Amino acid sequence: MKRTRRVGELFAGTLGLLITLGISFLIAIVLIFLLSKDPLTTIYYFFVGPFTNKYYFGNMLNAAIPLVFTGLGIAVAFKSSVFNLGGEGQVYSGALVATVIMLALPESSGYLGGPVALAAGLATGAVLAGLSGFFKMKWGTDELISSFLISSAVVFIVNYFITGPLDDPGNSMLATYAIGKQYRFLAIFPPSKLDISAVFAILAGVLIFFLMYYTHWGYEMRMCGLNREFSRYGGINVSTFVVLPMIISGALHGLAGAVAIMGTYHVAVKEFSFGMGWNGIAVALIAKNNPLGVLPAAVFFAYLDAGAKAAMLHSDVTFEIAAIVQSVIFYLITAQAIYSFLRYRKRAPS
Amino acid sequence: MNEHSFTFPLLHNTIGIMTPFLLAATGGLFTELAGMLNIALEGLMLIGAFFSVVFAGLTGSLFVGVLLGIASAMLVAALFGAVSLNLKANVFISGLATNLLASGLTVVLAFQIFGNKGVVRFEIATLPSLSIPALARIPILGDLLIGHNVLVYLSWLIVVLAAVVIYRTPFGLRIRGTGLGAPTITSLGLKPRRYQMAGILISGFTCGLAGAGLTLNLSAFVPNITSGRGWIALVAIYLGNKTPWGIVIASFIFGFAESFSNYAQGATNIPADFILAFPYLLTVLAMIGYSIWRHYRDRA
Amino acid sequence: MSSELYLQMRGITKLYPENNVLANSNVDFDVRDNEIHAVVGENGAGKTTLMKILYGLVQPDSGRILLQQREVQIQSPLDANRLGIGMVHQHFRLIPEFTIAENVVLGTEPRRWGIFFDRDRAINRVEEVIQRYGFTINPRLPVARLTVGQMQLVEIIKILYREAQLLILDEPTSVLTEQQIHKLFVTLENLRAIGKTIVIITHKLGEVKAISQRVTVMRKGEVVAVRDTAEVDERELSRLMVGKSVTFQFEREPVKPGRVVLELREVVLRQKGQDRPLLDRVNLKVHAGEIVGVAGVSGNGLAEVEDVVGGLRRVTEGQLLHDGRDITDLSAVQLRQRGLAYVPADRLHRGSSLQSSVMENMIISSHHDFLRGGVFRQKEVEEFSETLSSSFSIDGDPRMPIGTLSGGNIQKVILARELASNTDFIIFSEPTWGLDVASAEFIYAKILEIRRRGIAVLLISSNLDEILALCDILVVLYRGEVVATLSNEEKLSKELVGEYMMGLRDDGGTQA
Repeated sequence: MKRTRRVGELFAGTLGLLITLGISFLIAIVLIFLLSKDPLTTIYYFFVGPFTNKYYFGNMLNAAIPLVFTGLGIAVAFKSSVFNLGGEGQVYSGALVATVIMLALPESSGYLGGPVALAAGLATGAVLAGLSGFFKMKWGTDELISSFLISSAVVFIVNYFITGPLDDPGNSMLATYAIGKQYRFLAIFPPSKLDISAVFAILAGVLIFFLMYYTHWGYEMRMCGLNREFSRYGGINVSTFVVLPMIISGALHGLAGAVAIMGTYHVAVKEFSFGMGWNGIAVALIAKNNPLGVLPAAVFFAYLDAGAKAAMLHSDVTFEIAAIVQSVIFYLITAQAIYSFLRYRKRAPS
Repeated sequence: MNEHSFTFPLLHNTIGIMTPFLLAATGGLFTELAGMLNIALEGLMLIGAFFSVVFAGLTGSLFVGVLLGIASAMLVAALFGAVSLNLKANVFISGLATNLLASGLTVVLAFQIFGNKGVVRFEIATLPSLSIPALARIPILGDLLIGHNVLVYLSWLIVVLAAVVIYRTPFGLRIRGTGLGAPTITSLGLKPRRYQMAGILISGFTCGLAGAGLTLNLSAFVPNITSGRGWIALVAIYLGNKTPWGIVIASFIFGFAESFSNYAQGATNIPADFILAFPYLLTVLAMIGYSIWRHYRDRA
Repeated sequence: MSSELYLQMRGITKLYPENNVLANSNVDFDVRDNEIHAVVGENGAGKTTLMKILYGLVQPDSGRILLQQREVQIQSPLDANRLGIGMVHQHFRLIPEFTIAENVVLGTEPRRWGIFFDRDRAINRVEEVIQRYGFTINPRLPVARLTVGQMQLVEIIKILYREAQLLILDEPTSVLTEQQIHKLFVTLENLRAIGKTIVIITHKLGEVKAISQRVTVMRKGEVVAVRDTAEVDERELSRLMVGKSVTFQFEREPVKPGRVVLELREVVLRQKGQDRPLLDRVNLKVHAGEIVGVAGVSGNGLAEVEDVVGGLRRVTEGQLLHDGRDITDLSAVQLRQRGLAYVPADRLHRGSSLQSSVMENMIISSHHDFLRGGVFRQKEVEEFSETLSSSFSIDGDPRMPIGTLSGGNIQKVILARELASNTDFIIFSEPTWGLDVASAEFIYAKILEIRRRGIAVLLISSNLDEILALCDILVVLYRGEVVATLSNEEKLSKELVGEYMMGLRDDGGTQA
């Protein structure tokens, strides 16, 4: 009997999510009717567009890949009750450092230099976020604000390098030199840009899920996240678990940047990664901080963007309607969170 | 002599540049005192920026533009407040949603109404400067204080008003009480939610005004014109230790940094990006320093 | 004292749907004009709910309230205030950063020109109230700097300022010292003498006898008796509250105590901002196979002893020794590694993580034992928790969040977890607070069992019956000092222990 109660709760939570998404779609339709002179075409492209051909579909999945990494990064942080608001800077700098490594090793084999570059990107993000975690642990500095500040500064610094010393005058963009062909991930779904890092993303999701629910680090992080006093009483070194989740979160963000370069962009373009950090927060939200849920959540998010893009290309609306729809989803999701919380509270004694 | 011709425009500019920070932070202070984290300052400012210049263009009156810009920002603030307070949403996330809504809505409307996703220019007057001779007579600072537009002087008035309200009115007492002890407020028969909502609406007011200052200064709407000023305002609240006078100083620091980056670009060899990064690094160092100080003070 | 009824509550019923608790079931409650009326009952009897309804914080599902024979509607504390009803809560509702005057006038602030806060007039008006009732306190002081007794006085001033005629006090003495309690009772009697009517919620039967004219006994949401205080004694009140006689007689066979397992030596605990140390040169020893009880009135150092021994607070001076070895500076983590077991008073926040599963709660200190290469052996964890659940009669699926269990079951989970470790020393704090009789008896049996096994037990409790039934040695704390270390071989009398607890004796008692 208890099993069915749990299933019932899960169902209620999922149902709530579906209702939220349903309402958001309704709002999208209303918006399109208001803004477009050819609403039916627009709606078609908005909802179905991404599926109409290999190019759109593959690109949509490809756009979801960095969101999986950043979403996982935020999920780990939120589950441990720490706030990593420095995602943007961590992704961007991870991308830059990986690029620099690859540019510095033009002759190396892809299988040697590649992992080094990925590791470097990962480490960069880890260090940046870890700094905030360290300050929080040592002196109680609010990590939400410090990670945001550090990240904001880092974005400017990375901009300088991309538009200055590393700028490739040969390409017409504000971007670095291109990385060697041996470092570029295999495209697995031509003509779209979808590359093999999709597999890495899925692996990452499974790994982080395993980490959080089956290993002792994950257990300790979650316990500290849920009740710090209890964890301390029980003998967990809670100060470690302010720094560790930040490090893991930053590492995932840095990895997102490195993977994006090696998989899709091949050059570090100025501010190419803008939004990957913020959208990671959205993805983690929709996934309710569950690592496995991050995978479909990232795809959903990318789907919204892809639909808006398709609608923009084939019809007369602007891409930013996606932002409006996303904000509605955000509003509804947090309000929806209460719904499932209420269902839970019904059973708990006072 | 050379220094003087460098520092003077630097400082004079700072006063103008710090105005949006000052306004947004002052409004945000009310929400902060009521115990709520308000990261929607950025979005509210953007709404104010857009609608004030649009309505000014439509009606030809700057005053009406500012008024309606403020009203729009307060409307969106009300939405933010309703979702956060009445629907008990996570205030951080509803704040993010508000910013997202603002950035999407302004571009969509600009595109819809003006057919243009870029800069939209308007045929309107620029903000009038106010000449206050009395200010010029203040020693040392006098020259810096004159020659600004009317919104700058209005912002000073608002800060003083805010300080008075916070420390010398029952409303201020209750709003501070809400942040310091909401159960106490409830036990007195008052509703903490009302004071939190009031704080949010006040922040809508000041952010709307701040945004209006940005666009009306240019007579144009630029997408994402706020570019992070709302976030800076939030930081200023913390840097200023959640007091009106602290916010003035913190806003000045940020304004100075931006002003310096505008001027130093020509004058020195430091890359512009580093100068722009500087205020953030400064703040993070100040925060860490403050934490260290407070950590050792509490241990003693 | 007239026999006119000042307050009548009729047929009050309140059900809390979230947890299906019938807090008040058709309650009739009368208070005569100008009397002090006590409301007693165990935790969960419904006393606080009834008062919250009277004060407008909670709305009843059905029932009426009559004030001086006229029916009234009380929808909020503002209504209650307007009707002359004031309430002093058990947990103070004060803003420490504000001054006394600001706290008192908050919500009804005097104004200048309609919009400005007239601070001077506020101070004057509060000063008036202070003088009128003969108190001595400076309204300009920030509340943060007051003693607990003074804070309670501020709460009383708050309601007198609003011209309350009916004063409700919820467990007013739970945080007061003996002296402060005495002062409070004098104040209450004075207020009664000038015409106020007072309702006092308490579970301290001695106080009922000391201060009230009549007493209403509640149990499980119902009124079970209303008596004139003069005509009833504490034992009868206790019987009415509990409903059946609680046998607190245990077989405590004589056990020869072994080595000293835990010792506190000259322990001093100071806190910034407090003049008096919270613990003042505390010395105590716990031998293997012995139960040492720590008794005292709440606020006299019991919680601090718990925090210090549990490793969650560092002593200012003095030493803690385990098996003769200095453990003074060890962290909670390290104490756990040394085998310390600890059942905290705060079950819900310190003792458990409500949103985590029972299983996850059970392995918090021992989770390292279930790992292989950093990964959990799920099957072993499940078996472990199922074994514990059955041997401790805990119902429910261990995978469910612990917050869904009853208080008794939560405590059993905590107990099971702490006893499962290989320990030579365990500390209990308020182990049966808020629990039903069956769970309490289960826990007592377990405590005696581990004593037989030769484990050293430190039992901190404000429940005197419990402590006297279980302990071999009794240590009494008063204002952070040990005022008695008594042997319990000849069963100690409550009166004697009470005198130590109230600070009436401090000769140190007979050394055991």
